[in-house]
Amino acid sequence: MILDIISAVLILLGGVLSLAAALGLLRFGDLLSRMHASAKPQILGLLTVAVAIAIQYPAWSTVTTLAIVISFQLVTIPVATHMVGRAGYRTKHLRRSMLYRDELAEAVDRAEAREAAWERRRGSGTDHNDG
Amino acid sequence: MSQIVLDTLIVAASVLLAISVIIALYRIVRGPSILDRMIATDVVLASIMCGLGGFMALSGRTDLLPVLIVLAMLGFVGSVSVSRYVSKSDSMTPGAEVGSLSDFSSSDWHMPKESADDAEGHSDTGARQQAQSPVGEEWPDDVARGISDVADGPDAITVQEDEEPVTVGLDQGTDPSSDPSAEPSVDPDSDAEGEVMGTGPDSGPEDSDDGERTGPEPDDDEGGRR
Repeated sequence: MILDIISAVLILLGGVLSLAAALGLLRFGDLLSRMHASAKPQILGLLTVAVAIAIQYPAWSTVTTLAIVISFQLVTIPVATHMVGRAGYRTKHLRRSMLYRDELAEAVDRAEAREAAWERRRGSGTDHNDG
Repeated sequence: MSQIVLDTLIVAASVLLAISVIIALYRIVRGPSILDRMIATDVVLASIMCGLGGFMALSGRTDLLPVLIVLAMLGFVGSVSVSRYVSKSDSMTPGAEVGSLSDFSSSDWHMPKESADDAEGHSDTGARQQAQSPVGEEWPDDVARGISDVADGPDAITVQEDEEPVTVGLDQGTDPSSDPSAEPSVDPDSDAEGEVMGTGPDSGPEDSDDGERTGPEPDDDEGGRR
């Protein structure tokens, strides 16, 4: 019975994390802030729920399948979040006033300068008017 | 006594999950951009996964565990595909629909190809890119049509009133409305204007954040990417 209560508490913790992510989605005013908020239940909430399942049914098949689910989330969620953040940066879905420091802008500037130098080196002596 | 505590905990978890799903649905409806809707969809999916896991833990339906895997894969594939094909035409800023096709052409499709060409070597790829230099040959038809139709796409991109002007370009601190006038300072050669009118090197600051840096010179970029 105490294991039931422990697993119920873990499920409640997953619900609390999910609610925290939803409140972050509701209240934050920026794409990157919402991304920061929304990553909580995707890994940690699911981890607590998986621990609850493993407490209730400690069989090898169940635990290994849960390990597969958790490791899949651990691998794919940073990739998906990186893709969303990169698309948000490129399409300017971010508030510059909410950034303390834009470290990516320096790298973008350097890449742009290198591309401009390469274009100048490539296009010298020709008069093509396109890209 | 303990049964009452258990029921209370379960009902509380269910209510929290339901509230979080409702709030995330509100963000999906309200969300100003498609990326916000995608993040809210991820939260809905995570809440569904948590609820399904709780249901499995409480009812013993551990045969539903592959459903968790499928939901995880669904969230990953949906998020990656939506963020891959999002463009500035999906922007929440007003006026961005004017240059939508040009902005679509300046999305990140073709930039890794050019960076790969840059990485191959400068001697032969320069001649080959000059051979490929007309727009209709180098790019697909819809992209070339978008370039020829819209004179300068990022003129139409505006920022909202409460935001600072987004600085693109090198170090002059120019906003995108004055971006073509600022480009000759970046590239003082005579080709610079043609580049601005054609494809726009202003596709560079958004597009070249990682694909460009990994391509040509990976040795001096290591400090910048950390």
